[in-house]
Amino acid sequence: MKRGYVKSSPHFFRLIKAALALTVLALMALAALVPAPLQEQANLARVPNPVKSAWFLLWIQELVSYSKYLIYLVLALAACFLALPWLSRTTPPDSARWLPRECRAVNGAALAASVLVLALTLVALFCRGANWQFVPHF
Amino acid sequence: MIEEFLKHLFPRAVLQKNLTLSYTLCLGGLAFTCLLLLAASGLLLLFYYQPSPAAAYPSILLLESSVWGGRYLRSLHRLASHFLLVLIVLHTLRVILTGAYQKPRQLNWLVGCALFFLAVFEGYTGYLLPMDQLALWATQTGMELLHIMPLGGALRAALVPDGVGEPACLLRFYVLHILMIPGALLFLSGLHFYRIRKNKGVLPYL
Repeated sequence: MKRGYVKSSPHFFRLIKAALALTVLALMALAALVPAPLQEQANLARVPNPVKSAWFLLWIQELVSYSKYLIYLVLALAACFLALPWLSRTTPPDSARWLPRECRAVNGAALAASVLVLALTLVALFCRGANWQFVPHF
Repeated sequence: MIEEFLKHLFPRAVLQKNLTLSYTLCLGGLAFTCLLLLAASGLLLLFYYQPSPAAAYPSILLLESSVWGGRYLRSLHRLASHFLLVLIVLHTLRVILTGAYQKPRQLNWLVGCALFFLAVFEGYTGYLLPMDQLALWATQTGMELLHIMPLGGALRAALVPDGVGEPACLLRFYVLHILMIPGALLFLSGLHFYRIRKNKGVLPYL
């Protein structure tokens, strides 16, 4: 065995099995505590107010509620996301580490985008009432 | 035999420091676990779900009221889908913040992006299936968001030829949700893991 290396079995597999078991058990326990919602049968004649999209798309709904042209911001973000390895001009480091100094710009942009998406989602989820009016919950 | 096959998917030896939890937080593996749990719970839900506008909602009511563990199974499926999306986002953020997207891993980055978009699409198609008010209007709003995108009208027409919650729409969402997207997710996950192994010699990332 080369220096610094260990056999996958049992070292790596033990970790995988523990992570798998913990995830499954945690989800099974949570599922007993958090029942899936079921509203009345779908009816196109009864429009709820406000109408909200699935939670993972809410940030886009919140964004385009300011201007529909902001959808291009979402598309630009997706394009940058896809092209990230080609946009970054830094030399890849020899080994991985958190927040490498030479990737400060990409790290800052990624964190800013994440905070923006999270903030938009929370506003849409908790602070939007009838007719998409802002209803502060604080 | 299965255990031997699974062992061959992994490298024989790994760098000891790569096994430190604070390095990757195991987020990709946890997301894949959620995917497997979704496949298992979804397979059981298939025995009761009926993909037609008139029968879908009553089949969910039957599942929840008359099938032992039916309500729990649906809750588990829904919760696992939420966790899958959250874990994929966190995994992606981890990959960015550790610089693991950089060359020579650019192909695997694209595979990961495809997995991310497919997981969102899988969640979206699954949202409609219970055919309750929440499902209908969330899907309708999603379609309106799609419609304002360039080429969104054509995509919408392909996904929803007759209207959200109508027979052809529900059938297409159903087939996409149970067959096509999960198949693509499993295939790309395999490719993702394969590429991690292929790149291992170049950069010591887990």
